[in-house]
Amino acid sequence: MTNATPPKGSERNIRSLSSTHIDGAPMAYIIALAAVVTALSFIPFSFILGSGGSFPLSQGVLGLVGWVLGPVAGAVSSGIGSLLGVFLAPHTAGPLPLMRVVGSVYASFAAGAMVLGQKRRYWWIPVAVYAMLSFAYFVGRAILLNGVGVGIAFAATFVDWSAIVLFILPTRKLITGWLRSSKLPQVMLGLALGTWMIYGITHVCQSAVIYHLQNYPEEVWATLIPIIPFENLVRAAVGVVIGSGVITGLRAVGLIKPEHAVF
Amino acid sequence: MVSKKIAVLKEVSYQYPRSEGYALKDINLSIERGEFLAVIGATGAGKTTLCLSLNGVVPQFFGGRFFGSIEIGGEDTIDVPTSQLAVQVGEVFEDPETQIVAASVENEIAFILENLKTPRDEIVARIPEILDAVRLKGLEKKHPHELSLGQKQRLAIAAALAARPKLLVLDEPTSQLDPYGVRETFQLLKDFQAAYNLTVVMTGHAAEEIAEYADRVALLSEGQLKAVGSPQEIYTSFSLLKDNALRPPQVADTFQRIRQRSVEVIQTPVCLQDGIEAIRDLQTRVNICSPKISSQGEVLQTETILETENLFFNYPDGTIALKDVNLTVKKGEYIALMGENGAGKSTLAKHFLNLLQPSRGDVRFAGKPTREFQVSQLASRIGYVAQNPDQQIFTTSVEEEVSFALRNLGYSSTEISVRIEESLTEMGLLQVRDVHPLSLPKGDRARVVIAAILAMHPEVVIFDEPTTGQDDLGAQAILKVSLRLHQQGKTIIVITHHLHLMPDYARRAVVMGRGRILLDTDIRTAYHQVDLLKKTYLHPPQAVLLAQEIASQTPIPKLLTPAEVAACFKPRVRGRA
Repeated sequence: MTNATPPKGSERNIRSLSSTHIDGAPMAYIIALAAVVTALSFIPFSFILGSGGSFPLSQGVLGLVGWVLGPVAGAVSSGIGSLLGVFLAPHTAGPLPLMRVVGSVYASFAAGAMVLGQKRRYWWIPVAVYAMLSFAYFVGRAILLNGVGVGIAFAATFVDWSAIVLFILPTRKLITGWLRSSKLPQVMLGLALGTWMIYGITHVCQSAVIYHLQNYPEEVWATLIPIIPFENLVRAAVGVVIGSGVITGLRAVGLIKPEHAVF
Repeated sequence: MVSKKIAVLKEVSYQYPRSEGYALKDINLSIERGEFLAVIGATGAGKTTLCLSLNGVVPQFFGGRFFGSIEIGGEDTIDVPTSQLAVQVGEVFEDPETQIVAASVENEIAFILENLKTPRDEIVARIPEILDAVRLKGLEKKHPHELSLGQKQRLAIAAALAARPKLLVLDEPTSQLDPYGVRETFQLLKDFQAAYNLTVVMTGHAAEEIAEYADRVALLSEGQLKAVGSPQEIYTSFSLLKDNALRPPQVADTFQRIRQRSVEVIQTPVCLQDGIEAIRDLQTRVNICSPKISSQGEVLQTETILETENLFFNYPDGTIALKDVNLTVKKGEYIALMGENGAGKSTLAKHFLNLLQPSRGDVRFAGKPTREFQVSQLASRIGYVAQNPDQQIFTTSVEEEVSFALRNLGYSSTEISVRIEESLTEMGLLQVRDVHPLSLPKGDRARVVIAAILAMHPEVVIFDEPTTGQDDLGAQAILKVSLRLHQQGKTIIVITHHLHLMPDYARRAVVMGRGRILLDTDIRTAYHQVDLLKKTYLHPPQAVLLAQEIASQTPIPKLLTPAEVAACFKPRVRGRA
């Protein structure tokens, strides 16, 4: 490539004129990542206590979809991907398939809301408020209505409250900074903690609804104490493995970056 | 009044996002309606970027910085959406599989028309018309994956032509095709150019075909337009071609070498037929001698390292890929394995690696049936460089890619470090060891894969179409690596249909056609079996055909290269008639 002298022609203002964009993200990206979500929906990685069924591995990339595409396009992509997933891979759709889709939309939206600049800098607030309200309802109902011990309730929701804390404190911006780093280890750290955080707040929002419907007893809460963090670790690992490949790959090939991409 | 120019590029410069240099720089070029413009240049010269800029994908999809203007049929590619430009500009890429999306041939044609909101009746009418034109009639219901590579490329061209674009841009569409497929594609484009006044812009390295079919040739170098002219002008500018890692057609190269021997050549021909006529003319006025050539190839007396015996292989869909293949490869041989697309070359190579198991017959490595080896055991002893390097790349840095197999094979970290240094040095990749492999040009990506193979110190290295998509310098660089490995005692098998590249490297040629071995002999004998080569859709290099023309009048040995053919001629000394 040549760079010695400035170009003779006048510089043009480049606009994306194609209508095949959603909120600044090319439709091709949205479809590609939706396909990834659908494909990973086929792979179960843990069982669901009580109701049976399993969780899809796609939960590990929902944050990534939001970081790559931004909040709106990310939510659309995850929504399409998980909607197809619940039909094509019902074995991972869970007892409430609609919650699987809504949770995916929420997760990618939350991830896309982790912005550092001025634009959309308050979008994280409604996400955090909803997560906190969900947590209050979920744990409050367990302790006040169903008599679950306070210690057990907080131990079983470690993933949830740790994620909320990470999301509302400046750690959210720290993680975003790592995702933007040119150093791969920092990107991987950002992906690990970011995936933990994003699926954690998604988990509490879903759990509040499911708990409202199912009211499982204290014995189940106790059993969940070691299981839920392990599951979230698996999600974080998936996020790191796939995310580091996707982000470094996208940077390397130099394709246009979606307007609201976080990475 | 309709302008004579379909495309006008004025001071076009372009810089990719996060890139320091310009992929295109100050390009001024006008493309006439109905012309066939070939764009040539070394790998990384900017050919693909130029193609993508003609339909607005650069910069509308990639972003970056764009300077100057490109007008296509009067429309500015910056101001008009790519979807609108797609009506005027059809685009075909190097690998047809990357752009075929539908599940049947006819649906592939319909897809673009549906996107352009063409009425249904019109779509139904156009499908048979276009399939007939690209000679795919009768295959309407076939899944594109059932087509040969040449047919897939014709389907991609058909899909692009279905929208009746005024300008068809093709980015190295023939690099993966066998010689027959290459000529077929060029002829098809020429037919469309004549029939529909279609403008064709095509990049590529097929010098012989470009010289024959193109109206004009543009030479790009480091993003800049270095020269534009007729094929005659460009392909006889030898120093310009050499400076840009390009080669002239063999016929031009031959006559340039003849001229260097102080033999008067009136005009250097760039097309084969002109070359044959010029040879006839020279024979009437110049002394012909029999040049000294290297040996015809000796039979190595070393032990057998690879062997197939009555090998048959049927794919699950019933396709018979190999039929009664008997082949013995001696340790330390360098073999060119040649044949048309679909001849069974890669299928045979996969049997050596136990990636495929015989339907019938035996495959042995070092005297032991390959089925008794684990794939990982064979992989460390037989290196396989696949045709598409991207299929073998999956890590995030060049160094990781090279070390991946070593780590999995359990080598110590010290040994891994030593081997990485050796391999990266050997392939000239030390400077990019931390770079993501996908950010490298295709030629360099192929070198990354070769480096990863070399690090395992295999006894046999199989190169599957290693020169595909490479410029002359890149192709020679890879083959020189293969030669160095051969000199180190390794057994080399190069699968190729780039026959012109092999005489300096291979001594033995195995020619396959429709799953059988048609010929297994020394390379000189093989290249002069013109009729047999044609059976498997291979064309011998132009130098061989020129040599045969000379041999029809004067007995000479079987010559292979322009240098050998040129050595037949020496000027008559005056006064000694």
